[in-house]
Amino acid sequence: MIMIIEVVKIIVLPLIALIIGIFLMGLARMITARIHWRYGPPITQPLIDMVKFFDQRGISHGFIFDFGIILSLAGSIVLVLFIPFCKIAPLSNSGGLLVILYLMLITPLGIALSSGASGNPNASIGISRKFMLALGYEVPFILIILTIMKSYNSLSLIDIVNVQQAGTWSIISSLPLFLTGVAYFLILPAILGVRPFDMTTAPQEISSGPKVEYSGKYLALLSIEHALTLYIGLTLFVNLFLGGSANFILFFIKILIVFIIGLFINAVFPRFRIEQALKYLWGIPTLLALAGLILTMII
Amino acid sequence: MVSTVWQNPVLLIVVPLGLAFFTPIIGLIRKELVKYIPILGMLFNLTLSLFLLPKVLDNPIIVSLSGWKPPFAINLFVGPVGILFSILISLVGLLTAIYGINYIKKGAVEKYHMLFLLLLTGATGIVLTGDIFNLFVFFEILCISSYALVAYNQDKNGIEAATKYLIQGSLGSAFILLGIGFLYGLFGTLNMADIARNITTVDSPALFIAMALFITGFGVEAAIFPLNAWLPDAHSSAPSTISAILSGIAIHIGIYAIFRVLYTLFGFNSIFTVLAVIGIVTLLIGEMSAFRQENIKRVLAYSSMGQMGLIIFALSIGTVDGISGGLFQIITHTLSKSLLFLCVGYMVYSTNSMELSSLNGLGKRMPLISLLFTIGVFSLIGLPPFIGFPSKLSIILAGLKTGETLFLILIVLMLLATVIEGVYFFRIIQILYFKEPDKEERFKTPFTLLFPVIILGLLIVAIGIYPGLLQEILDRSAEIFWDKLSYIKIVFGG
Amino acid sequence: MTLQLILLIGFCGAIITYFAGKILPVLREIFAVAISLLLVGMIVYAYGRYSQEIAQFGFLNFKIVFTLNRLSWLFAIIISSLSALSIIFSLSYMKGKERQDFFYMMMLFVSTSMLGIVFSGTFLQLFIFWEIMSWSTFLLISYSKGKAVKAGLKYITMSIIGSMAMLVAVISLYLKFGTLEISVISQNIDIASLRYLSCIFGLLFLGFGVKAAVVPLHTWLPDAHSEAPSPFSAILSGILIKMGIYGFILMMYMVVGIKIFMTLGVGWMKFHYVFAWLGVISILIPSFIAILQNDAKRLLAWSSVGQIGYIIVGISMGTGLGFLGGTFHIFSHAVFKGLLFLTIASVEYRTRTRDLDQLGGLIKKMPITFLGGLIGVMGLIGIPLTNGFISKWLIYKSLFESNRMFLLLFSLIGTWAAILYGYKILHNVFLGQLPEKYRNMKREPVFMQIPIIILSLTVILSGIFPGIILKLINNIAFSFGLESLNVNMWGVVSETGTLNIRNIFFGILAAIALVSIIFYSAKRSWKVSQDDNYAAGAFVPVEKYNYTVEFYAPLYKMIRKYLKDVIDIFYCWIAGLVDALCNGIRKIYTGDIGTYVGYILFFLAFLIIIYLRG
Repeated sequence: MIMIIEVVKIIVLPLIALIIGIFLMGLARMITARIHWRYGPPITQPLIDMVKFFDQRGISHGFIFDFGIILSLAGSIVLVLFIPFCKIAPLSNSGGLLVILYLMLITPLGIALSSGASGNPNASIGISRKFMLALGYEVPFILIILTIMKSYNSLSLIDIVNVQQAGTWSIISSLPLFLTGVAYFLILPAILGVRPFDMTTAPQEISSGPKVEYSGKYLALLSIEHALTLYIGLTLFVNLFLGGSANFILFFIKILIVFIIGLFINAVFPRFRIEQALKYLWGIPTLLALAGLILTMII
Repeated sequence: MVSTVWQNPVLLIVVPLGLAFFTPIIGLIRKELVKYIPILGMLFNLTLSLFLLPKVLDNPIIVSLSGWKPPFAINLFVGPVGILFSILISLVGLLTAIYGINYIKKGAVEKYHMLFLLLLTGATGIVLTGDIFNLFVFFEILCISSYALVAYNQDKNGIEAATKYLIQGSLGSAFILLGIGFLYGLFGTLNMADIARNITTVDSPALFIAMALFITGFGVEAAIFPLNAWLPDAHSSAPSTISAILSGIAIHIGIYAIFRVLYTLFGFNSIFTVLAVIGIVTLLIGEMSAFRQENIKRVLAYSSMGQMGLIIFALSIGTVDGISGGLFQIITHTLSKSLLFLCVGYMVYSTNSMELSSLNGLGKRMPLISLLFTIGVFSLIGLPPFIGFPSKLSIILAGLKTGETLFLILIVLMLLATVIEGVYFFRIIQILYFKEPDKEERFKTPFTLLFPVIILGLLIVAIGIYPGLLQEILDRSAEIFWDKLSYIKIVFGG
Repeated sequence: MTLQLILLIGFCGAIITYFAGKILPVLREIFAVAISLLLVGMIVYAYGRYSQEIAQFGFLNFKIVFTLNRLSWLFAIIISSLSALSIIFSLSYMKGKERQDFFYMMMLFVSTSMLGIVFSGTFLQLFIFWEIMSWSTFLLISYSKGKAVKAGLKYITMSIIGSMAMLVAVISLYLKFGTLEISVISQNIDIASLRYLSCIFGLLFLGFGVKAAVVPLHTWLPDAHSEAPSPFSAILSGILIKMGIYGFILMMYMVVGIKIFMTLGVGWMKFHYVFAWLGVISILIPSFIAILQNDAKRLLAWSSVGQIGYIIVGISMGTGLGFLGGTFHIFSHAVFKGLLFLTIASVEYRTRTRDLDQLGGLIKKMPITFLGGLIGVMGLIGIPLTNGFISKWLIYKSLFESNRMFLLLFSLIGTWAAILYGYKILHNVFLGQLPEKYRNMKREPVFMQIPIIILSLTVILSGIFPGIILKLINNIAFSFGLESLNVNMWGVVSETGTLNIRNIFFGILAAIALVSIIFYSAKRSWKVSQDDNYAAGAFVPVEKYNYTVEFYAPLYKMIRKYLKDVIDIFYCWIAGLVDALCNGIRKIYTGDIGTYVGYILFFLAFLIIIYLRG
């Protein structure tokens, strides 16, 4: 009986992630349009696009081109299983935060392999920017994770969520965690890859970067993957700092609030250059996170 | 004790001496036979020395020349140290003579071989004698033969080197004679055991001055810094067989003479600390000067200088372990340095140049010689599994066992010198093997040139892997070398 | 008897191989492979027979003892296997090169001397085999001529300085303990004061640290590993630097014992603390320097310096978990770094270049090599399901549990640097467009494929089933007195977070299966050649449509000026000083006879003055 529930959870969770992700993507386009005084596409637009993509025939540049995409999407799906959504957390006990840090590598690596195999320098430039950006946000991100791990003295996300449920949200529970939370919020756009940090996929500069040779089902899978990435980045933040939730609705509202605030910033900012991005990421967020870590270690 | 005529140690001196005087006569009859005479002589010496070795390990033999008992006669003190040296001298002499069959072709060949035998005779005489003036006589034979042999090539460098060597050597010899004079004046005897017996009865500054004179005088030959300025020129300008003999035997004899005088005659223990420091200074200066040399034979000559410093340091540690280590290092240096000079001799002869750059790529063109050269180099630096490693190890052990900080510092300096030595030698090995040669053809090395170096190489590897072969001999020799009282006892019977 | 037999076979086998090659070239190859495989077989056979053998003969007055314990066995199996694979690889790689007899002889020599080191029961033997390993490595590094000569000289100079320090330490140990047997010394370790042990440690750190390429003793590594012949580079990076680590583990855990070791140090600067920080600096800076490299082998060489830092951080924690992680990383790094070097070697064999700016698109021509490179890079980064992930996870966990947050921070940043340079090497060699000149390239020869495949399988299998090796290391840790961990086939169980590879494995497998189903059930795509590419409407410019030069250009601009190897510059400056000093000293011998006579008289006067002074 328990086994069946577990299996059901494992199947259901990625679907929930997907639905939320697609919803957020649609919402993003709508709100951005409204901010720009446009009408914007309907909220189900990403879904329509996905169906359309699946219906087309695309081109392929070889085995690794295919396999890379498969790998990256698989990585995202597995990652989703590791992050608790309300009480559903099938694989949370198989490694904890460290494994999450490592599984987060599979997705960009898969895309990197795939787009590298496409043989287009735009793709290569895009991927190199992606990695450099990743190096940029990883420094504060690791500091943040370490601070959390140290404060709660545990690697397991479930434990962290439970402690917050019993007590208060991390972000307001102590000064170091507050600083860390703010730092996380500042680098969240970089993790999600949205403007102003979307130099990876820069339509005007490098012809969509890694996506330049994708078509048909590849674009569809990539959209799924983008949806999952959004979901992962946001739920991680909510779980770590905003207390998670036992309640679907509350959880969803938290995700929404964070996302919309980020969206407002996204809609009005132009794109950063990679050097500016690195300077920014290694500047204030890193300092805040560092302060958080040091304070946590002293106290 | 001596049982038959053929086992008399006197023969070790008499036979080569006689053969040496015979050489010009044979040369008048048949020129080609001359080159085999040193081989005969040294072969005889080698067999007799090896035969005598087990006997003298227990009891050194005293041979009185002229039938009178000491101290009224000149006597030979044939102890393990003496026989050990004699083995080394005859072995290296034999191998170099074999090498010389094909190597010495131009010039006054009979004179070469005669002087060669004389040199070896002098050396053997020094290590076997028990009389100080006798020692001086043999020393002079050694020196004068070597002055002449250095100039053998009759080129400008050789003559200049020989002249400088002559001047410095003569100054040294004069000092020795002066020292002997002092001793005779103080003790009325020239017998070393007798002087040793009476040394405590006299306490005058003349004694110290005599010792200083001896150290300086023998030190010229032993290549102590700063008395060794003749060495680089002499060893590099001489024909390579002579360089092998000089570096492999002659300078060791000088050291033997110093330390025989110091251990047996004099009783100033404080001099050893000074000598130890001087030894390390010599080592450092020798190795550092070798670092930038461009001429392969000069590199080897400066390296000999350095190694002499190391041996002096070992023998000055003042313990039996130190002496054992020093003797071991003497064996290492003799075998390795003669091997190196013999290999280099052929290299220089084939490429007609002594510059390091002419050695480019010789590893491919004369593989066996290069391999043996590498073995010699590695053993000199002290890498296992070659003979240099256990000998350096013994010295370091002896030095650190004393527990004094001075020796710790000196050992550290010695290791630094090893690093420098390693670097320049490794550079040369790289030049041999890993640089492009100018030409491509292989050299055909004659067998008489290969045979001696192969034997030396095999000895180096064998003793390197099983140093235990020599362990007992060295320990016993060291004990007897150091122990003044037993020397006196053995000589005077009882 | 077995251990001595192994060493004897190794050394004699090397010499026989050399002479066999003189008779018939193919004979030497057969011999080389046969002997290396024989060594592997004998070591596998020796598993579990942990023992001590005392040799009949001695060396000077020292006993010779051979031991096999668990740690030795682990190292021995890594050494022999990687050597065997490299030799098999060399069968193709060395075709047509000169002096192959010498090459094969030296390869066997080096591996046997390394085996001698791990089988040593006394410090004297350790030193003897250490020296033999040093000079045979030196000869083999210089083998490639050209720049390799300077690299070899730098290596041997630093190695000799380290060895001399080690010699002083060894002899000092002998004088203190009266024996050089490792087991006896470790039993009597209490008679030594902490200060004495600290001094010994400092000296041994010089000796072992040079070989292990710990910052600041690492400067020989980039040159040596990149210029050495490539199969040998694999051995250098894979095993040789681990010999230094073996020395450290020997001293820290076996001889001194971890409890005493944690207290050694000068004041507040405890050894393990300094050690861990040196390890972290080794991780951080060389990994970033590796990003800047354009020569494939130099990049991998700097990466090796970085990975050694991980091992040092792991073992210096002093906990069971840290030791487990560090030692497992010894194994995983040997496998994946050997794999990466062999991959680059096979690329170099076909393309004759290792310049990352020139290569590209080789995935189509050398798929097996690409697979090897991919798996190697995944292991390097530490993607789950590879052995690199296991060791990194363990090391991070141990850092976390020992509360060393900043070390953990820098180690994790080091991983990201690894991702950057790992992808750079993958992309510039295999992905992207294929240059014209390589269009007609043949595939890699069979002998190159075999080692690559074997090593790749090892990376994956030991990543999925880590328990096999973990159990062995756990027993080693237990024998050192560290706490034993709950190790099962799939990972490690502990209170603060478990590692369960099975779930991750099945999860990823299921996810890949799911996505593949979606993928392949969608419409099939057209296969298109790489020339048919998006170029904004223009024709694809052949030969120019590859992005490899200055792959991370903006990053380079930002960090280049901070990443000069200042230590190397410092050492070269000192070498220059010594050179000038030597040049000055040799001028004492002026050539003028007058000065020489003066020297003699001066010496005499000097002696007399000393006497008069007392």
